[in-house]
Amino acid sequence: MPKNPSPRELLPLTPPVFHILLALAEEERHGYGIMQDVARQTDGALQLGPGTLYGCLKRMLSAGLVEEAEERRDPSLDDERRRYYRMTPFGRRAVRAEAQRLAGAVTVAMSRLAGEHA
Amino acid sequence: MNPTLIAGFCRLYSMMLYAYPAGFRRDYADPMKQLFRDRCRDVARTAGALHILRFVTLVVTDWMRTAIRERAAGFWNAGREQRRHSSVTEWAGTILIYLFATTTLVQAYVIPSGSMEGSLLVGDHVLVDRTAYADPGSLGRHIMPYRDVQHGDIIIFSYPEDVRETYVKRVIGVPGDRIRMERGQVIRNGRRLVEPYTQHIAAYPDNYRDNFPQAPNASTMPRGRDMLEHYVVNGELVVPPGMLFALGDNRENSEDSRYWGFVPRSYVIGKPLAVYWSFDAPGEDLKEWSLGHVVDVTTHFFTRTRWNRMFMVPQSQNAEERP
Repeated sequence: MPKNPSPRELLPLTPPVFHILLALAEEERHGYGIMQDVARQTDGALQLGPGTLYGCLKRMLSAGLVEEAEERRDPSLDDERRRYYRMTPFGRRAVRAEAQRLAGAVTVAMSRLAGEHA
Repeated sequence: MNPTLIAGFCRLYSMMLYAYPAGFRRDYADPMKQLFRDRCRDVARTAGALHILRFVTLVVTDWMRTAIRERAAGFWNAGREQRRHSSVTEWAGTILIYLFATTTLVQAYVIPSGSMEGSLLVGDHVLVDRTAYADPGSLGRHIMPYRDVQHGDIIIFSYPEDVRETYVKRVIGVPGDRIRMERGQVIRNGRRLVEPYTQHIAAYPDNYRDNFPQAPNASTMPRGRDMLEHYVVNGELVVPPGMLFALGDNRENSEDSRYWGFVPRSYVIGKPLAVYWSFDAPGEDLKEWSLGHVVDVTTHFFTRTRWNRMFMVPQSQNAEERP
């Protein structure tokens, strides 16, 4: 239940929140799956520890960016049940807005730094 | 990295989680433990010691940062939501847990002598699990996994002749055992021990060292003399209640219970959990950090670090008994 009707008020998203949302963009994942995907997305630059990950998820839940899916087993790991997370439509709007904001920032950076590259 | 070590890390991690506020713990402690264990297993399967070290550093820094942050979050939200639980006590709780974890649960220890060679080398820096043999009391026993000191365990303990020093040896005798040695071999309760973990390098024959117990000689310390005087029955040493008989794995080059007597059970500090760093340096340098040693470590860190020993687990190993 989103408390913020406009995702713009949440911008800029912190890097962990942004990458966690991206990890959930295509499918539901459990905590460890998110951690692995974030490391892949960022080429290992962003390693989320358990405290950071679940602290973020807690805040993202209360902001309505993600929601809990049902618990189930992950056949690639073992027999234990794991808690899965999924992105809400509001979360999708927020990550899209953030991506646009970043794209804008990159355009500015490119144009201002263009001279240095040539 | 073997399963025992992973289990040990997981146990420590689940205790570290007490630094988080109760509400957070209730919601997330289980998945966090699960994630920690999954990651440990993956790292162990796929990567070398350096990766494990990096992961441990990540987890510890993550823990210190986020435990404080979750407390702070509780503090700031307190005004809006639940005023009563804001609290200095919650913060004091976190700080206490930090102190508790770093002083009570584990302790770093450097092996200063070659008496356990075969299992532990001079310059091995080991993490000592202080909870392992600490009797948690009748109530605590239900919460904490607890098992008393047994034959073959490696123990870290205060040196009985001088409690400021810390020694590491292997437990050969527990209360009630009858011990003697014949030509360097231990005979416990009439059975000859086959000890695969020992190393026998005799520089010279020594009757006292190899055929024990004997009348005290010049190298017997006061407590050793006391032991030989009071606890030898029919040529065998009988371990009294509350005491342990401990020997070094490097059997011919070890100053152990043969010379300075029994280890009181209450002097046992813990068991080695894992080698976290092993640096090839003389034993004297390791006892106190001198400027020379700092320079030595900085200039030779990469060449003299024994990388293959990283995260090695010194194992308890019971000897086979032959009649």
